[in-house]
Amino acid sequence: MCIATDWFKLKKWKPFAFQKATWKAIAEGKSGLLNSPTGSGKTYAIWFGIIESYYKQFNKKKKPKDSGLHCLWITPLRALSKEILLSAQQVSKDMELDYKIALRTGDTTSTERTKQRKKSPHALITTPESIHVLLASKDYDKFFAGLEFIIVDEWHELMGSKRGVQVELAISRLKALNPDLKIWAISATIGNLEEAKEILLGNKTENSVTIKTDLEKVIIIETLYPDVVEKYSWVGHLGIQLLPKIIPIIDASNTTLVFVNVRSQAEIWYQRLLEEAPHLAGVIALHHGSLADSTRKWVEEHLHKGSLKAVICTSSLDLGVDFHSVDSVIQIGSPKGIARFMQRAGRSGHHPGAVSKIYFVPTNSLEIIEGSAIRYAIQENLLESRIPYVRSFDVLIQYMVTLAVSDGFKAEALFEEVKSTHCFESITWEEFTWCLDFITTGGNSLKAYDEYHKVVLVDGLYKVTNRAIAQRHRLSIGTIVSDSMMHVKFMGGKKIGLVEENFISRLKPGDVFWFGGKNLELKLVRDMEARVKISNKKSGKVPAWLGGRLPLSYQLSNSIRKQLDDYKNGDIHNEELRQLGPLLDLQSKVSHLPDKNELLIEQFKTREGYHLCVYPFEGRFVHEGMGSLLAYRIGLLEPFTFSIAMNDYGFELLSDKKIDVDLISDNNLFSPEFMYEDTLKSMNSIELANRKFRDIATIAGLIFTGYPGHQKKTRHLQASSHLFFKVFRDYEKENLLLRQSFAEIHDFQLEINRMQNAFDRISKQKLVVTYPDKPTPFSFPILVDTLREKFSNESIQTRIDKILNSVQK
Amino acid sequence: MKKPYEEIKLQGESFYLLPQRAMYRPSKKQLILSDIHLGKAGHFRKQGIALPMQSHLKDIDTLQFLLKLWHPSTVLILGDLFHSTYNKEWLLFKSLLTGFEQIRFVLVEGNHDILDKEEYLLPNLSTVKVVEDSKFIFSHHQLPDPQKLNISGHVHPGIQLFGIAKQSIRLPCFYSGKTHFILPAFGHLTGIHLLEREDESDYYLIVEDGIVRL
Repeated sequence: MCIATDWFKLKKWKPFAFQKATWKAIAEGKSGLLNSPTGSGKTYAIWFGIIESYYKQFNKKKKPKDSGLHCLWITPLRALSKEILLSAQQVSKDMELDYKIALRTGDTTSTERTKQRKKSPHALITTPESIHVLLASKDYDKFFAGLEFIIVDEWHELMGSKRGVQVELAISRLKALNPDLKIWAISATIGNLEEAKEILLGNKTENSVTIKTDLEKVIIIETLYPDVVEKYSWVGHLGIQLLPKIIPIIDASNTTLVFVNVRSQAEIWYQRLLEEAPHLAGVIALHHGSLADSTRKWVEEHLHKGSLKAVICTSSLDLGVDFHSVDSVIQIGSPKGIARFMQRAGRSGHHPGAVSKIYFVPTNSLEIIEGSAIRYAIQENLLESRIPYVRSFDVLIQYMVTLAVSDGFKAEALFEEVKSTHCFESITWEEFTWCLDFITTGGNSLKAYDEYHKVVLVDGLYKVTNRAIAQRHRLSIGTIVSDSMMHVKFMGGKKIGLVEENFISRLKPGDVFWFGGKNLELKLVRDMEARVKISNKKSGKVPAWLGGRLPLSYQLSNSIRKQLDDYKNGDIHNEELRQLGPLLDLQSKVSHLPDKNELLIEQFKTREGYHLCVYPFEGRFVHEGMGSLLAYRIGLLEPFTFSIAMNDYGFELLSDKKIDVDLISDNNLFSPEFMYEDTLKSMNSIELANRKFRDIATIAGLIFTGYPGHQKKTRHLQASSHLFFKVFRDYEKENLLLRQSFAEIHDFQLEINRMQNAFDRISKQKLVVTYPDKPTPFSFPILVDTLREKFSNESIQTRIDKILNSVQK
Repeated sequence: MKKPYEEIKLQGESFYLLPQRAMYRPSKKQLILSDIHLGKAGHFRKQGIALPMQSHLKDIDTLQFLLKLWHPSTVLILGDLFHSTYNKEWLLFKSLLTGFEQIRFVLVEGNHDILDKEEYLLPNLSTVKVVEDSKFIFSHHQLPDPQKLNISGHVHPGIQLFGIAKQSIRLPCFYSGKTHFILPAFGHLTGIHLLEREDESDYYLIVEDGIVRL
């Protein structure tokens, strides 16, 4: 351990126990997982292990001419790679080592790439996509021949996405090239840490280690309340009413990060904050995923320097490098998950032993309960698990073409490698050959089109021989599918960011909108670019970006139910519950407050029709599935047309005729039996799968989203994927990509396992039905939600007759 | 009650509105339809967006079905027969025309019909700008201030109905106004354009296999 100890001495630091333990494990040739939050010195824990191992083989004197690539360090974020590069280079510099480190991301120039290939650095810091691009280049096996380490940073982030599958596949290939490869994961705390390790390490799990930091982090949560809770809005997700309460916090802190849940909310908060607190002009900034890279970099640099008082941001700043000046964090609206909340809290007070302070701003009165729930969950150490993707055939197909583009592959050998990954451990030879068939002939439905005959079999090797196909494929490597966005630029060409095509298409030149913290006047739209100039006119229009409605996590919903139960039993153990008192009492008075053994159902009539509201407190995705399932089951007894709305606490079935509530208990409509089959049949899942299919078709290379700068319009891509979906459903039901779209809906959209649990729980609960005169504190937020699903098993004729009748009345 | 077609009177003359999104004029044995947008799939394909072929056979099948059912002597197509340039679907359509050589096909040109003139050279197909007779004037776009009732396409008209309990439904329709009559789009890959309802006009909705007057 001479390099590490020398360096720590030089810096006058003392290594932590977990750092020493990691060095030791690496020196013993082990693979493993390091469980550590950001800002704890995790990079050094791993880095010195690598360096020591390298210099044990090649000491400073007898070094080889070109030892080749020694270590791959994978991160989910480019910003993070930069930070690691700097730390690692500093070590080489301080200790006068010849160990070279380079960066390779989507931003790396082609000259730089060529240089790296000719004379490779010792360590490459890169992203999952970039590794696959490397695997798509000729003679990659020589490039990786000397590889000894793969480090996957923030593995918990990657694991829950298809980028995790990309990592698994890349590792399976690299392991085949270098059987002695050592694999290390770095992960924040999640509910399934051991599983996370097994997924990444695979057959190297045996004899591996899990090292946890011994640093206890204290999180202090403070909820900000409206002056009079009874007068605070029952609905809404913006929370702007509480804006005056955050200004003193910003004033009193060095730097405050204000987290909101969606991008449009960030824009609005920024705008309103400037209006309310003009003294902050120039020292507050905006940061979200649709802003131009250069803008985001600027904000990050100024955060580093400590020259900003506050930054309004979205999950774009969840991850990544530490900003030392940040000493306050504010969360606006539901945090949705415990891990996410803790991660955000952890962005303040970095240095080991420091306290993280986070303020929670509820955006409607009932949301105050989440402050109480999150406190309880953190205290009980309830943390969410990350669910890994399995059987992602779209990623496999892309990977097969990647290997065919470079040096080609043999079917049997690749099958064994692929089967060794967690994602594909259940793949059969038939499924594998289906994928082979798909890339060589387009499969059953697409045989007639030669553009799907991408790969050919030459002397037992699957290869891409057509240069145009190879070129297109290299450009399409990746698993993040986003809507095609329109670039917003100043007349001079300076980029501001990306806005959904759909938003711009509704504006005329001369219209003013608010984006990137500025009032912009639309001048002209050409191709996929909107040219704008700064305007002095006021405008209320703020682009809304689709997506972003995360469900409440399983753990957090459990905690919320616990809080309600506590309150009902008179156990009012914190300020949040005390503040909520009047609202919960009102709910109890006009309807009922359920305890943990009860499921509340409310039925009432308004001008709009008959409402049936159910409150399982299971998160909006499960409610969406439950809502359409209940609609379907009621429809089996009698034809019905429903409009279905949901939030994180419950769902509503709205109909034009009354539902006999006794039918629900008499026929056991909440039965967990046949839940899976019934969900499949409720129309919803087909429509959802259809939407999901666009991503799958894009990843699998069925749809080409366009050359850089010539992106295709979302609406065209949608039309095209919609037709593939339809044709596969009509003519090729066994299509693996089609089946995958349904599987993904079940696992991630409907959260079928969670739904199963919820149904099991409900089947043991007592149904409490109330008939309030008017909407209750629980039901009101759901009733006003405009995002609704539909279910109908009445014929179009009946529906029209009813509509016409109601119009004539 | 649903009928296989709905008989209406325009300028005192009978027309049958068909749920296949076309119209039959018994006095002249004319089948009238609009906006097939043949080759929309092919057009997407050329843009690098692949659509499977099967999806487009449906319109040609429906047309064939109508020809066999009504035995018209003339088929009047009110424009946008093609979505854009030359495509495979056009070949299929050509072979359909050859199969019904006793029927005269008249294409009133629309904004999408940009094939080479030579392509239209078939013995039983002619192209014109407008068709006019004693009572009606047929065109692709609506004509401003027509002297006679103007029957056209282009708009892809549709109606959205709202009921209680946040219910709504969108359906293609025939529009019948004082000076204009508009046909729904025949092609099933085409979208609909929602109309604002006017009190003095009639709307005939296509409800599955029937027609419902609003």
